[in-house]
Amino acid sequence: MRQLLIDIFSFRDRPRFERIGFLIFILIVLIFPWIVTSAYGRAVMIKFLLFALFGLGWNLIGGYGGQVDLGQAKNVGFGAYATALMIVWWKVPFWITVIPGIVIAAAESFAVAYPMFRLKGHYFAIATLCVALVWKELFIFWDWTGGARGVELPIRSGVDFVYMQFNSPIYYHYFILFLFLMQFFFVNWFRKSKLGYEVQAVRDNEDAAASLGINVYRTKVINYTVAGGLGALGGSFMAVYYLYIDPDAVMPLDLSILIAMTVMVGGAGSIWGPIIGAAILIPLDMYLGAWLGAQKRLGIDFMIYAMIMMVIAAKEPKGIWGIIERVRKKGTR
Amino acid sequence: MMLEVKNLVKEFGGLVANGDISFELRQGEILGLIGPNGAGKSTLFNCIAGYYKPTGGEILFEGKDITGWSPHQITREGIARTFQGMKIMPNLTVEENVMIGAFCRTGDRQVAQKEARGILDLMGLTGEAEALPTGLPIAAQKRIELARAIATKPRLLMLDEMAAGLNPLETKEIIQILQKIKEEKKLTLFLTEHVMEFIMTVSERVIVMAAGKKITEGPPVEVARQEKVIEAYLGERYAKGR
Repeated sequence: MRQLLIDIFSFRDRPRFERIGFLIFILIVLIFPWIVTSAYGRAVMIKFLLFALFGLGWNLIGGYGGQVDLGQAKNVGFGAYATALMIVWWKVPFWITVIPGIVIAAAESFAVAYPMFRLKGHYFAIATLCVALVWKELFIFWDWTGGARGVELPIRSGVDFVYMQFNSPIYYHYFILFLFLMQFFFVNWFRKSKLGYEVQAVRDNEDAAASLGINVYRTKVINYTVAGGLGALGGSFMAVYYLYIDPDAVMPLDLSILIAMTVMVGGAGSIWGPIIGAAILIPLDMYLGAWLGAQKRLGIDFMIYAMIMMVIAAKEPKGIWGIIERVRKKGTR
Repeated sequence: MMLEVKNLVKEFGGLVANGDISFELRQGEILGLIGPNGAGKSTLFNCIAGYYKPTGGEILFEGKDITGWSPHQITREGIARTFQGMKIMPNLTVEENVMIGAFCRTGDRQVAQKEARGILDLMGLTGEAEALPTGLPIAAQKRIELARAIATKPRLLMLDEMAAGLNPLETKEIIQILQKIKEEKKLTLFLTEHVMEFIMTVSERVIVMAAGKKITEGPPVEVARQEKVIEAYLGERYAKGR
């Protein structure tokens, strides 16, 4: 038990500058809503934490596991719909809806992982993308989920911790920060667990992994299942934050790609990667997009976006974290 | 009997890579497998380790039929292997590479780490524990592969071309390490090799393969003198002309 707690909360295996960096980051995030009072600034911060959360989940399969998954939006959708529909239908408190959301996303991931992991590399990526698109079309088509009209959550006044609805973004800020930290410490445990080492071994060399007693296929399936479950948590948050969801908002292709891109830009396979990636891409998206849009130069932000991704993909496959690590190693030598 | 291979056949399309191979491997023995390029040594290795499914025949490990099992099942059963072209996990440290081997027998990170450190110490790799393996010389990488295989606690260890790419001094070192761990871990060894000096000094018995068939077996000194062995390596004319 004591060892489990150490594994969850300890970073002793990481260099000191990383631990200090993380502390500074937490301090900034903690005091952020008291420094930045503009609604837009706070919204950017919440979206940053949300995508850092998504990235942490995706990093399991895409980073540590090395399997490029372009369908994480389906899991976000499962979480969002589970929460929204259960609140609308049966008035179930938010925290209870989170669990079925995660369970449904994990179960679906487990079921589709079996046939999908017959494929490798690009083919696997395309399969994940297709599965996510099929789910989106189904949710548009189905009447019982609200179809293309989506689901509206009943609005509550004041501060409601049962349904997690608040009249001030400050509450949402600490709410998403809490979810983010939960996921963050889970991933911190994961990367040091037997499964964490096994997925990394499979990523690096499947033949060698098998020669060390690892069931490669099973490891991939379990990893994909866990990553799928984690994707649903942020979806549940989206339901009570936006108070309105439809398939275009919670399961679009853009979302799948953006989640994968934040991690790739930040540094896949590193615990800091998703945070760095989201810290760069989300403000860029929201500020640059708004600024260029105001000047009637729509679309230029997408070009800049795409350029950053191409440069990172071509020049630095380990992302910005890879650059930081290299610079630091040169410095200490 | 540690390992029994009975009438093993492996065909790729119409090509017979292993035709009707039978041999036995006794507990605690060091058995060498030699033969010229394309003789089917690696195919035989891969059949035993589960990387290829044999077309015919049987493989028994300690009396248990393991024919057609998956590689990870065979490793868990107690057979570990190294690879001819090294297959090291490049993004994990040396210690983590070995830990992954240890995770074969335990779910506890502390236990795996302790075991990995013990094996690295045995291999003389303690100083490189925190390093990434790709930056290290070939001799060190070979030792990492060996350490990783031993961490899975095998009873039979199969080494594919352990001395390839090593200089004579490094080869001598790896022989010493092998002999040490064989005693310490009570291993049975099965090795293929191109480097004759290596296999002839280490093995107690050798099997000679040529063109997919087993042509002979026996103690190294005897086998090396046999005409058909020389023929397989150097050609008919050389053998006759001696």
